[in-house]
Amino acid sequence: MADRRPELEDNSRVKRQKVIDGSISRMRQNGFDIDQKNDPSKNPYLAHHYSAAQDDMTNSSSGLQNFKRHKTMAKDAKAMEDGPHNPFTGNALSQQYMSILKKRRELPVHAQRDEFLQLYQKSQILVFVGETGSGKTTQIPQFVLFDDLPHLNNKMVACTQPRRVAAMSVAQRVAQEMDVNLGDEVGYSIRFEDKTSSKTILKYMTDGMLLREAMHDNDLTRYSTIILDEAHERTLATDILMGLLKEVVLRRPDLKLIIMSATLDATKFQRYFHDAPLLAVPGRTHPVEIFYTPEPERDYVEAALRTVLQIHATEPEGDILLFLTGEEEIEDACRKINLEADEMAREADAGPLKVYPLYGTLPPQQQQRIFDPAPPPRTPGGRPGRKCIVSTNIAETSLTIDGIVYVVDPGFSKQKVYNPRIRVESLLVSPISKASAQQRAGRAGRTRPGKCFRLYTEAAFKKELIEQTYPEILRSNLSSTVLELKKLGIEDLVHFDLMDPPAPETLMRALEELNYLACLDDEGDLTALGRLASEFPLDPALAVMLISSPEFFCSNEMLSLTALLSVPQLFVRPSSQRKRADEMKDLFAHPDGDHLTMLNVYHAFKSPEGQENPKQWCHDHFLSYRALTQADNVRLQLKRIMEREELQLMSTPFEDKKYYENIRRALVAGFFMQVAKRDGTGKTYVTVKDEQNVLLHPSTVLGQDSEWVIYNEFVLTTKNYIRTVTAVKPEWLLDIAPTYYDLDTFKKGDIKTALQKTVDKMRRKEAIKGGGRR
Amino acid sequence: MNGSEDVDDYMSMAIVEPTKPEKETSIQRQARRRREAELRARVKSKAEKKADDDAARDAALATSLDISNKGFRMMAKFGFKQGDTLGASKDARAEPINIVVKEDKGGIGLDAEKKRKFREEVEHVAKRAKAEEGEYRERMRSEREEKRKEGQLINAQKVAERLDTEVKEKGVPAEKTDQLPDRQGINCTSRRFTEPLNSTNILWRGLLRRRLEKEREGRMRYDLAQSRSRLPTYTDPDEDEDDRRALGKEEKSNVLEEELEEDDPQLEEFNALPVNERLEKLVLYLRDMHNYCFWCKYQYHDASMDGCPGVTEDEHD
Repeated sequence: MADRRPELEDNSRVKRQKVIDGSISRMRQNGFDIDQKNDPSKNPYLAHHYSAAQDDMTNSSSGLQNFKRHKTMAKDAKAMEDGPHNPFTGNALSQQYMSILKKRRELPVHAQRDEFLQLYQKSQILVFVGETGSGKTTQIPQFVLFDDLPHLNNKMVACTQPRRVAAMSVAQRVAQEMDVNLGDEVGYSIRFEDKTSSKTILKYMTDGMLLREAMHDNDLTRYSTIILDEAHERTLATDILMGLLKEVVLRRPDLKLIIMSATLDATKFQRYFHDAPLLAVPGRTHPVEIFYTPEPERDYVEAALRTVLQIHATEPEGDILLFLTGEEEIEDACRKINLEADEMAREADAGPLKVYPLYGTLPPQQQQRIFDPAPPPRTPGGRPGRKCIVSTNIAETSLTIDGIVYVVDPGFSKQKVYNPRIRVESLLVSPISKASAQQRAGRAGRTRPGKCFRLYTEAAFKKELIEQTYPEILRSNLSSTVLELKKLGIEDLVHFDLMDPPAPETLMRALEELNYLACLDDEGDLTALGRLASEFPLDPALAVMLISSPEFFCSNEMLSLTALLSVPQLFVRPSSQRKRADEMKDLFAHPDGDHLTMLNVYHAFKSPEGQENPKQWCHDHFLSYRALTQADNVRLQLKRIMEREELQLMSTPFEDKKYYENIRRALVAGFFMQVAKRDGTGKTYVTVKDEQNVLLHPSTVLGQDSEWVIYNEFVLTTKNYIRTVTAVKPEWLLDIAPTYYDLDTFKKGDIKTALQKTVDKMRRKEAIKGGGRR
Repeated sequence: MNGSEDVDDYMSMAIVEPTKPEKETSIQRQARRRREAELRARVKSKAEKKADDDAARDAALATSLDISNKGFRMMAKFGFKQGDTLGASKDARAEPINIVVKEDKGGIGLDAEKKRKFREEVEHVAKRAKAEEGEYRERMRSEREEKRKEGQLINAQKVAERLDTEVKEKGVPAEKTDQLPDRQGINCTSRRFTEPLNSTNILWRGLLRRRLEKEREGRMRYDLAQSRSRLPTYTDPDEDEDDRRALGKEEKSNVLEEELEEDDPQLEEFNALPVNERLEKLVLYLRDMHNYCFWCKYQYHDASMDGCPGVTEDEHD
């Protein structure tokens, strides 16, 4: 593979060249003149703006003005980087900058800076492969800055990240490396948080944010270069962006596009982008020896614990990384390893073992602890200590932990699944792919040769694991995406060129849902409501619920509730204090459901008592301070959008007996497609239309006597659960969502009969009322 | 076509018997309702419920959305047809990814391994059953064959007895008579027994013996029925010759009785031979003695037995 790459590269480079030439000449024929149209310096009407910028530069900075855009060499840039003045701000460079610079120069990507620049200058689209640790995420955007010189054209360089945390932390790091304040030249933009300014020339952002920007600026004219980082993760937004940018680059020949991937199977990206050239930078990796089990394991968790302890007892120094699937499993494993390790230390004189959990919902400061060094030997000269990190697949690609020598891979991860046939979107424990397994193994070879223990047989690896993890677009509900694409002006979604198009039924279902939400008309065209809904960075159902909330006189409350539904779990339930936590939750419980309970929590949090010492208050009440503050922030952002769109903010007086009823009715306006009816008198509920048997999630505060409920989530586990439920009345369903509850579209059965009875009852009431009035 | 198709052909029209709706009697109705109510009222076990839920889910997962879906019509506007895929590439996905809910902590490959083991076991059992079945068939076949041979043997014995008796009565060529056991023919079972049983031809003595035993049994039953109060073997000290004659008690029957009670080692030895061998012996005897081929069912005129294909049954197929 490695020896084949250069040849491949050369070929594709040539091909790509042709394509570029072709597209440019086509543009010329169409009457575009790239230089004149896109270079503001050549535009006489912008001359004043340009010269001012130019003057500014000459005054403050030290020589970047001599750089010719897209004609620079690595040595020029290096000279600039060496200072003594910051080429972008003109300020003197700090001592810290210099020491970081030295380390940066040691990163693998630096060795190929010239090669990168050549390809970047020559080609409109470039595929860059660099394994984690090559420095691509922090360095490549800076390489681009020195050649693209976006500040001269009033443009920006965008670098997308699949995760919010990554966008924030990388931006922070790069701001440090460039010796600027975060938010000035280097900033970030994530949902509900924008840390950029007019000075910003390099913007790290989530892929979802870039997609949202494209909705208002279809050609993304603010950017001169767009870097899609971690493209191998194939998030939904990255996939859509690739489809979009594939069209944008044709309309904007001045836009450069870099696709960055951490895995070697980048040929798929090349093919998709008309055989774009590829540059691969090897990561710093050591060989990893792989071990398989001779027999399949009966219990992968138990086997994993056994393996970890065995490594600790018998293998030489080096940290351990164990992959498990979720928070509960990880916390449980950590406890057990701790217990066993203590015993081993007492009885078998093993070294100390420090165990750290790692998962997405873990507070950041606790996540940070995984970087703590391994514990020292108990006694000087004694057996060395080591740390063991028990992680979800976050540690697979996105986080790099040095010092890991042993990887234990049971072969599972929690993956999102979506099936349009029963409209369930859920996280399920599933076997990983071969690519994931290789990635996991690679984690053992970061510092020195390592070992990877796969808790399955070699035959199972070959036969049972799929080649690549399914991209997110195949595993997601697309109603949000479809709304965005419609807003982006893409009419024909059937032929939209995606790298991996989803099953037609997924699109069908999304279109149908949007139609029921009245965001699309029967022709599939965006309605006024749809246009408005697309302004909110929310699920369409939530957006519609929020937009229609003024009709129910509770937009303030729905604003809070929407924010609360957009953040992670509010309630904390540590396994050691479950009872106490449940008692605390009962303080806020509203008999009509979880949504109202959440609202009570928020109101209590915002009360003077809660705000006095919010952290302590949350801790005392077993609530997540992080989630609540985040919700507060989200609420603020959403409120701004509401105000911008002139949606009235109002509340029903709390004394009014309809206060809660209005809120429940407003919920129906968004979630009428997520309704379940109790089956007979038992515990089981049946979902409307899909007719799936479900149970109320044990976390609900709702009593069992509610005939009809709306739910926020359909969770698949060994049982089917609906989570976050609130009682509603069938009259509201018929009243608020008459199209969806058109009885002719219902299958014969209990639900239809019940609805029919309600219709009859409503008619009778209407008749009596009418009669009375007359 | 002159519209003749529009005209119904009354001759060929099948007249459907109007099916009378089975009238449910009130008792039946009651029973049905009770049954249904019981079915409804029965609380399903957790496992049953789960199985139901899973089945409902799997059924829903296996049912694809069709053209009745509103989204379909919107897609059709852009030329989408049932069975098409999305996007520009040809190898796009047609079906949603299947959902598999993992229910235990089993490692990768465990299910496959379990399935493999189960399959192996099933195969093993099937193989064994098949082997047993084969054995059984074989046994049945040989038993059937033996029975058939046994029947043939009896037939051959009958023929031999008949021919031997005929020869005895008619007188036979001298060279062959001396081979015949020296005794009188027995052509009628009811006739008085004159010759000791153990001196008859061993080849068909078994037949004779069985017949005599049967006869005796019949007679004993008859005697029992006739004797009213007495056992046939009961000897009344007051009984005189006339009485005995009148009661049908004859000396000879006692002789036969004794003969039948006696062991016959010669016959036992013969009967111990496999049926094949016994039959073969009989067939050869018939050929040699009487120029009779058991398989042709024909008595030839001379010893050359011209026209008989051979000695064994197979040769006569």
